[in-house]
Amino acid sequence: MSPGAALSAETHAKETAAPVLSVRDLRISFPSEAGTVEAVRGISFDLLPGRTLGIVGESGSGKSATAMGIMGLLPPSATAGGSVLLGGRDLVGMDDRALSRVRGRSIGMVFQDPLSSLTPIFSVGRLLSDALRVHQDLTRQAAWERAVELLDLVGIPAPRERAGAFPHEFSGGMRQRVVIAMAIANRPSVLVADEPTTALDVTVQAQILDVLRLAQRETGAGLVLITHDLGVVAGHADDVAVMYAGRFVERAGVDELFHRPTMPYTARLLAAVPTVDGGTPRPLVPIGGEPPVLVDLPAGCPFAARCAVAVDACADTEPELRSVPGHGEVACLRAEAVAEGLLDPSGPDAPDAPAPAPAPAPGTGPTRVGEVVLRVEDLVKTFPVTKGGLLKRRVGTVHAVNGVGFELRAGETLGLVGESGSGKTTTLLEILRLSRPEGGRIEIAGVDVGAQDAAERVRGLRRDVQIVMQDPLGALDPRLTVRRLLAEPLQAVGQDRTSILGRVEELLALVGLDSAVGDRFPAALSGGQRQRVAIARALATEPKLLALDEPLSALDVSVQAGVINLLARLKRELSLAYLVVSHDLGVVRHVSDRVAVMYLGRIVESGTTESVFSDPRHPYTRALLSAIPLPDPRRERTRERVVLEGEQPSATRPPTGCVFVDRCPLYRVADDGTRRRCLTHRPEQVRVTERPDHQYACHLA
Amino acid sequence: MPGGEVRLVVRHVTRKATGWLLMIVVATNVTYLLASFFLDPRSNFKDLRPVRSEAQIDRALAPYNLDPRVPLVDRWWDWLTSVVLHFDWGRSPTGVSVNGEIGYRSLVSAELVVLSLVFSVLAGVALGVYTASRQYGWSDRVSQAVSVVVFNVPTSVAALAVVFVAIWLNQHAGLHFLYVAGENAPGVQGLLPTVGDRLLHLILPTLTLTLMGYVGYHLTQRSLLLDTINADFVRTAQATGLTRSQAIRRHALRTALIPTATSVAFSVPAVFTGAIVTETIFGWSGMGSYFIQTISKNDVHGTVATAAFAAALTAIGAILADVATVFLDPRVRVS
Amino acid sequence: MTADMTADASYGAASDRTPQPSRSVRTAGRQHDVARFYVRRFVRNRLAVAGAVIFLLLVVFSATGDAFTSYAYSDTDFAALTQPPSAVHWFGTNQGGNDIYASAVHGLRRSLTIAVSVSVLTLAVAAVVGSSAAYFGGRAEKATLAVIHFLLVVPSFLILALVSNRLAGDWRVLIVVLTVFGWMSTARIIWSVSTSLRERDFVAAAEFMGVSPLRIVVRHIIPNLGSLLIVNLTLGVVTTVLSETALSFIGFGVQTPDVSLGTMLADGASTITSAPWLFAFPAGLVVLLTVSMALIGDGLRDALDPLSSTGAGGRR
Repeated sequence: MSPGAALSAETHAKETAAPVLSVRDLRISFPSEAGTVEAVRGISFDLLPGRTLGIVGESGSGKSATAMGIMGLLPPSATAGGSVLLGGRDLVGMDDRALSRVRGRSIGMVFQDPLSSLTPIFSVGRLLSDALRVHQDLTRQAAWERAVELLDLVGIPAPRERAGAFPHEFSGGMRQRVVIAMAIANRPSVLVADEPTTALDVTVQAQILDVLRLAQRETGAGLVLITHDLGVVAGHADDVAVMYAGRFVERAGVDELFHRPTMPYTARLLAAVPTVDGGTPRPLVPIGGEPPVLVDLPAGCPFAARCAVAVDACADTEPELRSVPGHGEVACLRAEAVAEGLLDPSGPDAPDAPAPAPAPAPGTGPTRVGEVVLRVEDLVKTFPVTKGGLLKRRVGTVHAVNGVGFELRAGETLGLVGESGSGKTTTLLEILRLSRPEGGRIEIAGVDVGAQDAAERVRGLRRDVQIVMQDPLGALDPRLTVRRLLAEPLQAVGQDRTSILGRVEELLALVGLDSAVGDRFPAALSGGQRQRVAIARALATEPKLLALDEPLSALDVSVQAGVINLLARLKRELSLAYLVVSHDLGVVRHVSDRVAVMYLGRIVESGTTESVFSDPRHPYTRALLSAIPLPDPRRERTRERVVLEGEQPSATRPPTGCVFVDRCPLYRVADDGTRRRCLTHRPEQVRVTERPDHQYACHLA
Repeated sequence: MPGGEVRLVVRHVTRKATGWLLMIVVATNVTYLLASFFLDPRSNFKDLRPVRSEAQIDRALAPYNLDPRVPLVDRWWDWLTSVVLHFDWGRSPTGVSVNGEIGYRSLVSAELVVLSLVFSVLAGVALGVYTASRQYGWSDRVSQAVSVVVFNVPTSVAALAVVFVAIWLNQHAGLHFLYVAGENAPGVQGLLPTVGDRLLHLILPTLTLTLMGYVGYHLTQRSLLLDTINADFVRTAQATGLTRSQAIRRHALRTALIPTATSVAFSVPAVFTGAIVTETIFGWSGMGSYFIQTISKNDVHGTVATAAFAAALTAIGAILADVATVFLDPRVRVS
Repeated sequence: MTADMTADASYGAASDRTPQPSRSVRTAGRQHDVARFYVRRFVRNRLAVAGAVIFLLLVVFSATGDAFTSYAYSDTDFAALTQPPSAVHWFGTNQGGNDIYASAVHGLRRSLTIAVSVSVLTLAVAAVVGSSAAYFGGRAEKATLAVIHFLLVVPSFLILALVSNRLAGDWRVLIVVLTVFGWMSTARIIWSVSTSLRERDFVAAAEFMGVSPLRIVVRHIIPNLGSLLIVNLTLGVVTTVLSETALSFIGFGVQTPDVSLGTMLADGASTITSAPWLFAFPAGLVVLLTVSMALIGDGLRDALDPLSSTGAGGRR
């Protein structure tokens, strides 16, 4: 696809080809305890063959309900209105039997979670041949042959042998390939992909997006790509629709949309996404507030309450989606002003903006670096592997953490990045255990936690080290109120009642929560509030070191930015040391002063955030960075990519040489002598000249 | 399954079976001690006329290794050696062979219970599947209500209700084939009449046991299926072009049946231990009534053998259930 | 044997669903609202309310029913042998001339006492054993599980019959015996739920904060077991009534001259056509008792478990 084709694609294409899918005023609602949830409130679009419409939205925006509505897979309790025209027939109101003749044949779907979307008791070959035989009159044999071809097409190695394997024997990425193969088995004219890569690691995400593109090319189908990730849309969609509170609030060609987002929501969303590209990261501007609940929506624009440029009229009537010259269609009263550049959608002073004195953006360098709070040397942690659910037996050892070392100082943030299985979370939990590690040494605030004679001092460390977990809902006991949750760590260190009461109020204020929140239960809070409670709780005992395990991954983008800014403020005010574990490089870049990249239990590259992101040396870091989709279609199309093959192997038999050797693009082109060295010698950490803090472990880079 | 895997399963089963065997041995011996302590075979002779002396009674019990004058340890050792060496489980205080009784009675119980197990599973699973796919429909609500009531009614009440209705039918509708007592009528000759007669006697107890048995399968199958019916993979199957009911039948049901199949495998051996209350009410002399009889007649050896028999069948059931899981569910297979 | 065979396996599966608050709890934000919130959820389930009303009436009947008759259950009226219900003998009389109304009041009281005490006792034993096994882990856990496993292999119904046959007649002994042989499957359920609770993030979070193990059990594990315990308490009553009637029916439970619903059923069984009232009244009471308790249990589980939607799921 050339950049030019995407420009004004809509108007051109409409004249040349008939849409394969036309959605008109689609409305979907569900009954709930609180009342009728209007998940989708009238959306319309046309999809042309071979083209991709990206639908972007946060959780609860109605994007998944839209996908299910198009597929005719809504639960029986849902009611749908409007029309979904496919091949001249309206799918809304069609009975299940008639719909089943359309599904799989004219329209295929790729689901979010590949781990649960394949029937566990059938082999993948069987699943695929069944999918073929539903619509085609094939013999068992012929269907199996075709299934093998499809597995080959989507890039399953040794497809003939693997066809007989069961879903649980495949990795997540491989399973998603199978799901794609099932979706295109009968060459449908429309593909719907609902968050197809959200559950996958970023290097695997890049592969799956490629497979999806290949599948689209093979079938010539139109693709509806539904995602929360603006980067994915920027690289893969021709047109983009932004969904908010069950409606499209902006729809435009991908270039127009990213070049000048016109609906304030779109603009604010883009400003809130942490990215990995460019020089110094810009400070994130959170949107503030939370998306509305879609029950009994008040009149007016649903975004008005969070909008910085809302006028009185916005609260009266909900604006229709209307055409704005050069910017597709926008549902905003002030669209023209924004489009012409007369109005900044972030507003003169955005609500909930970061603290008055615009501190140096986090990541630009340590503010006040103090003494060493945490020193880890050569840390080792292994787990036994048992195989089979029933016939358990030990088959090996996972070397989850294999010789990891780093330092962390007060007032500094170290980001530990890596894909799932890289050992980053294990490293964090080992530190928090506060007991002698299996191998290596951990020293917190000058105390060696493994030392025999330091037991008393180690116990004292409890209040110095605290954790914020990934899922705040799981980490907060559902049966305790916020106030009691906050009091718990204080009771644990033996504070008296009155000082606890005072401290709890202080903590609520510290993380920007109203005192009234204290009486509530975690379930009654929003995601952002819950994570604030979790942070407040971790701060209760005035720790020196705060471990943050994927602190933002459970939050929506528009809420994320607020928590990122809160963390930055707290670090500055309390001169904390953060150890942040995350798979999201964008987030890590925004919160960290230094980063360490982990692969298969080892740190392959580390250094200041700026240095590592602007000049990555290790081939894995490079691949990781280039696999992250940027929310900028032009750069996304032009930049050079390193697409890794395969997936991170399990750490049961770590290679004797370099851990990255079987996926390394440099190794593949190296000469025999070097190759032998990669295979047999574990690379030492090499320092980058003039930036002594930046080091990497590679023989070749 | 490839050969290597079968070998693994065999090894696993052998290891499990050894563990079970150990437990059965301990359980049986504990029961022997308990039974010797709590049961007093002499009391069987107390009411006999002419009145016998203590010594006479003890002498009468001696040939059966029940003489209370012999120390318990010696009696236990004799019993144990005869079980281990000859698989002879001893005799009742009146000299009836325990082996013979159990051999005969377990078959009577099996005759009674097998049919009802089959009917229970079929009816329960069918009803569970039918109602799960119509959750909250009137048929679901009604059958759910009926099942909850039936599930909580004591067997004796249900069985006697069946008897009452049968007698009423016999009297008012002029039916004469609903037999409320016994396994067979005396004096029936010839093969076909005998088979027919036994089948007729089976009707009511089978009906009772099915009534008591189907409920568990209905309620568990319903909730198992409801748990899988909204699974992602069912939605995927629909997306390939199956109707909702096809997707449920081919994908959700197959998956949801695995635990049921396992629990059926578990309960198959239990058919030989019979149904205590039902056998009592319908006058069948199977294992259930043997159980009552041995205890009330102070039959130490019979009681112990019954316990050992039940424990062994429990163990076999558990092993069968394990094996069934391995064969039915690819997820637990070793790869 | 079959009487108690089906109880545990599938039951455990149903309670594996760890309680997680859902959107519906959001409506109950503040602490003092929560009790009212659960009551409202319970009251909305009409069957459960019916069960609660029936159960209360049964309790009142067993406690005050005596006052409405001049006969005691042990009195014999030789002028009225095997009489159908009449103005004098409301529920009729049996072959020995005992007043069935008085017997039923007494039998219900006896059965209720046994059922409630056994249910409370077994639950207490099971909760202590199950949660400490999960909490202490290691060898203590393995040993406890081995004992539970062993007791489940031993045909407990047989041993129950064996022991109670010799000692019973006295209902207090029956309570002890039923408790001793009745706690295992509940203990295993509590153990498995506590084990999964131990793995939950909020327990890990509390550990990382230095909260003491005892406090974790008291503050986090037991409150989160709460609904399971309450539901098991009601279902334990049902199970005990069923066991007690079965034992008494075959002659090994409560024995003459004492009377329970089980012995009344046994007495009525032989004269089901000639004197159906001997059977009908105790049978009606038993069924009302067990079914009402089961409905209460279902209602409580739906009300206390935020995940369950009303009426979904089988009981065991």
